[in-house]
Amino acid sequence: MRRFDLIVIGTGLAGLTAARTAIGMGAKVLIVGRGMGALALFGNTVDLLGEIPPATEMAEGIARWIAAHPEHPYARTGWEGIEGSIAAFRELFPLPYPFVAPSRGNTLLPTGAGTMRPTWLAPVTMAAGAAMTPSETLIVGLRGFKDFQGDTVSLHLQCRGVTLSLPRYGLEGLTAPAIARLMDETSFREGLGESIRQQMAGERFIGLPAVLGLRNPAAVLKTLEAITGARIFEIPMLPPSIPGTRIFHRFREELIAKGATFRMGHPVSGVTVKEGRCQKISIPNPPLVADHRADRFILATGRFLGGGLWAEMDRIVEPVFDLPVFQPGERGRWFGGRFFDPEAHPIHRSGIVTDTDLRPVDAAGRVVIANVWAAGSILAHHQAIEEKSREGIDIATGFLAAKRALAS
Amino acid sequence: MDLQTEVLIIGGGATGTGIARDLALRGIPSLLVEKGDFTSGASGRNQGLLHSGGRYAVNDPDAARECIAENGILRRIAPHCIEPTDGLFVSLPEDGPEYRADFIRACGAAGIDTVPLSPREALLMEPRLNPRLIGAVQVPDGAIDPFTLVVENARDAESRGARILIHTEVTGLIRNGLRITGVQVLDRITSETFTIASTWVINATGAWANHILRMAGLQIGLALSKGSMLITNTRLSERVLNRCRPPASGDIIVPNDTVSILGTTSLRAEDLEHYEVTPEEVTFLVDELSRMIPDLKGERFTRAYAGVRPLLQSDQTGDDRKISRGFALIDHGSDHGPSGLVTITGGKLMTYRLMAEKTVDFICGRMGLQVPCSTHVQRLPGAGHGHTLKDRLLQLRRQTPAAKGAILCDCELVPTEVVDAILREGKVREFQDILHRTRLAKGTCQGGFCVYRLLGLFNERYREDVSGGSNRILKGFLEERWKGIRPVLWGTSLKEEELIESIYKGLFNLAAEESGRKGGGGT
Repeated sequence: MRRFDLIVIGTGLAGLTAARTAIGMGAKVLIVGRGMGALALFGNTVDLLGEIPPATEMAEGIARWIAAHPEHPYARTGWEGIEGSIAAFRELFPLPYPFVAPSRGNTLLPTGAGTMRPTWLAPVTMAAGAAMTPSETLIVGLRGFKDFQGDTVSLHLQCRGVTLSLPRYGLEGLTAPAIARLMDETSFREGLGESIRQQMAGERFIGLPAVLGLRNPAAVLKTLEAITGARIFEIPMLPPSIPGTRIFHRFREELIAKGATFRMGHPVSGVTVKEGRCQKISIPNPPLVADHRADRFILATGRFLGGGLWAEMDRIVEPVFDLPVFQPGERGRWFGGRFFDPEAHPIHRSGIVTDTDLRPVDAAGRVVIANVWAAGSILAHHQAIEEKSREGIDIATGFLAAKRALAS
Repeated sequence: MDLQTEVLIIGGGATGTGIARDLALRGIPSLLVEKGDFTSGASGRNQGLLHSGGRYAVNDPDAARECIAENGILRRIAPHCIEPTDGLFVSLPEDGPEYRADFIRACGAAGIDTVPLSPREALLMEPRLNPRLIGAVQVPDGAIDPFTLVVENARDAESRGARILIHTEVTGLIRNGLRITGVQVLDRITSETFTIASTWVINATGAWANHILRMAGLQIGLALSKGSMLITNTRLSERVLNRCRPPASGDIIVPNDTVSILGTTSLRAEDLEHYEVTPEEVTFLVDELSRMIPDLKGERFTRAYAGVRPLLQSDQTGDDRKISRGFALIDHGSDHGPSGLVTITGGKLMTYRLMAEKTVDFICGRMGLQVPCSTHVQRLPGAGHGHTLKDRLLQLRRQTPAAKGAILCDCELVPTEVVDAILREGKVREFQDILHRTRLAKGTCQGGFCVYRLLGLFNERYREDVSGGSNRILKGFLEERWKGIRPVLWGTSLKEEELIESIYKGLFNLAAEESGRKGGGGT
């Protein structure tokens, strides 16, 4: 049996980043996971910290944030760690589908609820949303596609909206992946571009649901902009997320090309820990169970939704290594009285507490398993949903965990 | 706009709409006002149990006889609201064989059919039961859909000439000397106020009875008992499951189409507008009902809710389980109060029709009319149109391929056209009203996905006519939903919650009104 330098558990953005970082350092890497994680659900933009007002420079804002939140994962990576890891992420997305930072601070982009939302990097297919003005923008909904309600978006953004029937297809009830695949066909997107053009009344911007192709979004953008003469932007909508799926596919393609081994579809069913070190993990490979050995392990299994944490009626557990989990009191205290409480629900602070090298520690601060590191949203003391820091935490801690693990 | 009628009914629950229907069938003009939507009170917040009467047979034989009689009547007049599941009274070792013997005897005396079952027979019928059971007794329990029942009573009353105003709140009683001659009301949507003059005012507000009576300086002895319930994501049993012991808390599981409802607790309620299901109640229900279904703890729970029972208080024993589940019809005129005002309260969903019959008999008596009641034989208008998952699937199969895609709620297969038809009716301006009339948002995601789609439909229809912005309605829905799911947030439900929060707070950047942060993102 091959022995790996590193096994990454988790195929979301944190695990993918850790695996790519390790591969780049010459390590032999196995990455195992159940699915695409939050990427496939909410992956659209790269958020660092939406809390910071748009007028503030990001470097400055994050430095102040770290000073005020010494337990936050960003306090482990520092601004330098974030900057370096984000630069590495951007290298993976060259032209014609780059991720761009429209300004030096947060940029507000429109959402599928017609709200504006702060972010740091946007794929080129979303970037024009930052420049749109209501009087010059047309929002295009697609008839029968339920997960993007064009009327809601245009009503709240106070711009004109139309709902188009997609050409040639009786598309009632179509899903985002199905439409995205159709967009990859030249004749389909040309037909759509023509239908949009016929509805225009001099608009300079056109907002569409984020379904502009899986394989070649830049070509879809180019076709639509050429036909309409307007700048096109994608708007994030209900899961599943097409832009997030593009990110996953790009990582996977790169990792496999560079020699990483991928095992997807099954959760880790067991681990063997001896004398404070993890020896191997077991993964069901029906009808067998396969054991995989490595010198180091990175745990990047996400939060509750991804399966990285599990809440029993009376406590929160970490199912792979049974690591100690920080939790905010008993069940009655996990959530506030209102869905939209001014403060984030206490449970969001729960998770794995680590030392400065991202190794999980117990309540007394002692390292639990010497060759295990944790990365991504499973970490304690952040509130990624409210802070808008999901991708930043994944990328920066995935990057750092790989560096630290391989340095040991 | 001032109105007048013969009989003014306050309350759009089962009793109020039942009275409106009974009056209409006897040709007496009426007008019903409801401050919220239909079934906003206990009628929409119960366990959906069609009692055989078995639960009351040993301790309250009169209530048991009422139940079995109404059970038979409801099966005839509202077959589409009922799933005739039958029920088992399950004896666990700690319940002992003595109560079982008393139970079978008492059911016989009350006219309730029983089939004694051996443990093996019971386990063959319900494999998830505790294998340690010492026996079971089958009775004609069932499941009832109170939402459809109430809406259909209202619809039938309206089609026979009754008038019904929902979202219309009584703010005062009009008194002329010794007589109540009408009410002052507020339209809660338009904020318009007006009066309704009437010969009779019937107070059918259930737990809110004293709220109305205080307007006339009156009060009756009413204990308010909160009962909490849990909904599972799947159906646990084919039949209603009861513990074969004296009625207590946490001893009934009622199947409801594709899910089961676990109940109940009994705690004094202080505030009728603000009460919640506590984590302790949830833990209690899961622990206690695990005795009957041992693998219950691994189950996914989708929601918890509570209702307030209005219990007539004759003494102050303190144990609400011992207070009679009977009802009372009070003519305040013959009780030193003003005449023209009648209160009907107490009772339970099972006896709503009987309560309506007795109330209308009384009114007829006072009016000198001799028209007999016919609600026990006249079927409700929707009889023959089912609402179960099977019925919905069959309906989908009949649709053309083009219409098939237009499903708004994927969990519960609610077509867009059904919701659109409700919106077209008008007067519906809150999502909650739509939820009362369809199964939208009652499935696994509890509306997490379909509420966004509903919002789009809403905006399409009322583009210029949404006060405060439609995201206000969306947030209102999410807060209402929160009350139900917060108590059951662990395990798989908590996973789902992370998804929903990630959508609405993360992806859509919606926040509490008072919070101006998030980079100034508009909400």
